[in-house]
Order: sequence, then structure tokens, then C-alpha cells
Amino acid sequence: MPGLKDKYAIVGIGMTEFSRNSGRTTRALGVEAVRAAMVDAGLGAGEVDGMLSYHGNDSTASPTIAGDLGIRLNFYMDCSGGGSSIEALIGIAMGVIEAGMCSTVAIFRAMNGFTEARIGGTGRQRPVFTGTSLEAGIHGMNSAAQSFAPSFMRHMFEYGTTSEQVAHVKMAHSHHASNNPRAYYKQRISVEDVLNSRWITKPLHLLDCCVETDNGVAIIVTSADRARNLRQRPAWIMGVAGRVNKEQPGGYHWSRGPISRVAGVYGAPIVFGQAGIGPQDVDVTGSYDAFTFTTMLQLEAYGFCKEGEGGDYVSSGIIELGGARPNNTSGGHLCEGYTHGIGHIVENVRQLRGLADDYCPNWAAGEHSYDYTEGGCRQVKDAEITMNLGWAMPATGSALIMHN
Amino acid sequence: MAEFLGATVAIAPNDPEHLGFLQAAAAGRFVLQRCAECARLRYPIGNACPFCTALEWEWAEVSGKGTIYSYEAVMHPIHPSFRDQVPYAIVLVELDEQRGVPTEHDGLRVLSMLVDANDRPESLERVAIGLRVEVGFTPLGDGLALPRFHLSEEAPEHTPWSLGG
Ligand SMILES: [Zn+2]
Repeated sequence: MPGLKDKYAIVGIGMTEFSRNSGRTTRALGVEAVRAAMVDAGLGAGEVDGMLSYHGNDSTASPTIAGDLGIRLNFYMDCSGGGSSIEALIGIAMGVIEAGMCSTVAIFRAMNGFTEARIGGTGRQRPVFTGTSLEAGIHGMNSAAQSFAPSFMRHMFEYGTTSEQVAHVKMAHSHHASNNPRAYYKQRISVEDVLNSRWITKPLHLLDCCVETDNGVAIIVTSADRARNLRQRPAWIMGVAGRVNKEQPGGYHWSRGPISRVAGVYGAPIVFGQAGIGPQDVDVTGSYDAFTFTTMLQLEAYGFCKEGEGGDYVSSGIIELGGARPNNTSGGHLCEGYTHGIGHIVENVRQLRGLADDYCPNWAAGEHSYDYTEGGCRQVKDAEITMNLGWAMPATGSALIMHN
Repeated sequence: MAEFLGATVAIAPNDPEHLGFLQAAAAGRFVLQRCAECARLRYPIGNACPFCTALEWEWAEVSGKGTIYSYEAVMHPIHPSFRDQVPYAIVLVELDEQRGVPTEHDGLRVLSMLVDANDRPESLERVAIGLRVEVGFTPLGDGLALPRFHLSEEAPEHTPWSLGG
């Protein structure tokens, strides 16, 4: 399907609050988020006829969410997945609309990521080693941090990358979050704060790791003809790459290739080829920050800097608000809250609309001060092209490029 | 029933591959799957050859020697079995066999907790990329053992590098 550039757009966005005590079901979170996205777009229940969601057996399926809202669906699919699913699902939404199966698709992720299903585990699981856990888990590798850490360590060895350099990612994102009233952690964090936080697994400190939260987030994708007649300025989709893989025998990302070279190297030609632009044309990035270094590895893979120079790139000031190409202006997973990537899409849509919901009194009218000091603005001036870099693990990634 | 660190080691009846791997280890043999078509070795365990798609394979004993390609030092345990193991290093070992195949960046990589002569977690001060390691076998009971790596007497492959601190 060549030539879908500018034929589809994100027209609605919705979020619940980010908390660590939602006290509600994923059904309630999903319903609130999808409804918020419909209200944002100006769409009624009769005008949404497709639904997609992704989950890790920790969510509520589309028919229930739709049924609660009185939506009758012509298409739905609930798939297993975490990070990097959202960009792929946006591509699927475009495809099913293109195929004539439905016309307007809501995509959501609803999760009690702190109070129910914690990604890092709770230590309460029944201790059994079986199947593929006989290759990793039995050796003491049992969490995302433990699984990814050797990739970062190898990068440090090969390129001299330091903990101090990637700590700038947390610093930058925390500064962005300080201007995001919705962020779970709004406190500004220094590079020293990261380096002084306790080790989780070397080379990762506590503050190199993202926050776990309860939340629901939704977006709505539709075709150009419908998008033009809705309430909001559309965020036009220029290109999408979904769940691109590296070689990974046994499903283990560490088994092939240079382990700090991530799947984005394969996603880059797909997504930039569709969009007809290069990394130099992107104004804002949303690079998945499950950990500080994951942001860095993806920025390298998509060509925002050379392989091995990610440490310099993320510590140069470029990724900060006021820098040449800010990353995760909401504060991202490190500070705003953990959404498996869909929150990063919402933030870039806000940026493209010029409607970042910061502390500027008239942000809703698009009036911004561009004063990025604490408790101020987080709108990027004249943001025209944004890119999302999705991560599931070093061997799996996705990407999305949009413009306004 | 086989056990390890207070957890059950359960080999499913339809998983002869992991059973064979751990049974060989109990006999003191470190074995990998070798493709019956192209003769390449593979790890982790898989149901086809990732180099030629052939389904047929056989066990092949390998030297169990290799070099630390990367590592991490786990300080905060998640899984209950490892609460009294921290701090411990997990090493990614590149085996001597089939280095640089199919590309210069590839090899046979095996994960292991780095253990000492007493089969306990090795001191973190001693782990580094570039150090030579060799396999040993940790009994799991029930005719099974787990291959795990320890530092060897051989000189490092290159100047050792570790994070320190
Ligand atoms: Zn073969």
C-alpha cells in the first residue's frame, strides 16, 4: 500500500489521570479515555466504528469498552503487546480503513500498571523455571531492566558512553514534566540525583528506570476526508513502521548482532521512506523511555546521531525544551507515567496542534510563553514534524512520523 | 522433582529439547543443537535452524569455553529465588565455537550467572568484559544440571573492561 502519506490523521486524544491508586478497573479507565478522545474529536458514538487495543492480559477488551459507550463496531481487534504496539496499531487502523472494513478507529491502552500488573514484576509470582526461562530467568534475568542492561553495558564498553551522559535523559524529561500538570513526577531531577540514586542492576540506577502508573489513554484515527471536518486540527500521518524486528533466535534480543544496535535500524528506511523526509527534518521526538538509555539507542538507530554518539547527543542539550529537537516533552515514561508508548503519541499530537496543556494560562487558545522554566511552558515553538520511536526491547521497535 | 533456589524446575512433557540440554549437563556435557543440514550450531534452543530453516538437528558437545561479551550486576532482585543471591553478575558469554558467524558481529551467546569455585555468585569486583570463562554444571536433582560459567585461568581475550563503582 504505497502512498498513504497524508491520507490518515489522528483526530482525537484522551487520557485519564496518572496515578498509583486508580481504585478503578481497566474497563473504567479505558471507557474514560476513549470517551475523552471522542469528545476531543467531536465524534459521537455512532461515528466511531472501529476499535483496537493492546494488552498483556491486564486490560479490558474492545467490545466491552465500546458496549459501555453505546458504540457498535464494524471492526475490532485486541492484541497482545506492550511497547512499540501503538505505532503498529496506527498502521493497522489505516489499513483496515483503507480496506473498507470501518471508517474511524479508536485505539486504547488501559492498565493498572502499578496496582495490578507491574511490568517489572512484583516478586509474588510462583517460583517455577520452565521453557525459555531455563535460558534466562534461571540465571537471574527476570525483569525488563535485567533483560536490557547488558545492551547498555556493551554500548559503554564499545563507545565510552557513561551513566552521566544518559542521566541527562532523565534530567531533561523531568524538566519537561515540571511543566506538565498531569505528570506523576513533576519534580526536577539533576544528573547528580540520578547518579546518586541506588543501583537496580548496574549500569542502571533507580532513576534510569521509568515510573509505573495506573492510567488509560486513547487516540482516534480516521481518513483525510473525515479528519478535515472534525473539531481539532488533524495530526497528519506521514509514515509508520510497526514492530520491526532484529534477528533474534529463540526470541532473545541478545542472541544476534551488536546487542546495542536496536531494531530501529530496520524501521528507519521504512518510516523515513514513506514520509519522504530525514531525521534532520524532525522538530520533536518521542523516543521510548522505559529507561534513560533506551531513548539514546533509538535516537542512534533512527539516525538522529551516529551509532556510538548517542551519549553525546542526549547530553548536549538538543533533547531539552529550548534545544534543537526536544524529546518527550510530556516527561515521558520516566516522569509523566507509563502508558506503553501511547502517551508519547498523545503528546506529539498536542505539540502539532500547538496545544500543549502546560501552565500557560491560555494554552487552550494556543497562547504560549515559550518560557521553559519550572512551572511554565512546554510547547515547542513552531513544531511542524514529530516522530515517535517505539520500543519493546532491543530487537523490536516501531516508528511514526506526523505533521500538522 | 528438580529444584533450584527454592523454585521448581519443570520440564514440560512436550519439551524434549530443554530436557536433553539439562540431562547432558548432568552427565558433564555442554551441548548445543547442531543443524542436520548446514551443520551450524545454535543457541538458544529453537525448533528450526535460523540459518537454513531445517527442522532436523542433533546434540553436539562444545568446549564450554568463551569470553564475556557483556554483563550486568544485579543489585535489586525481583524474583524471590534471587533475594539471597544479590549482588550477582549475569554474563553474556560468546562461545569459542562459530565466532563471527554469520556476520562479524555474531556468535553463539549464552547467558549465565557468573559463579565462583563454590558455585556461588562470583564477586562483582572480578567480572569484566573480555575475561575468559568456562562452563561448570550445577546439579538440579532428578537427573538434571544447569550449565553455568565461571572465570577461567586463561589470559583475557583483550584488555578487560568493567564499569567499576
Ligand atoms: Zn541449518
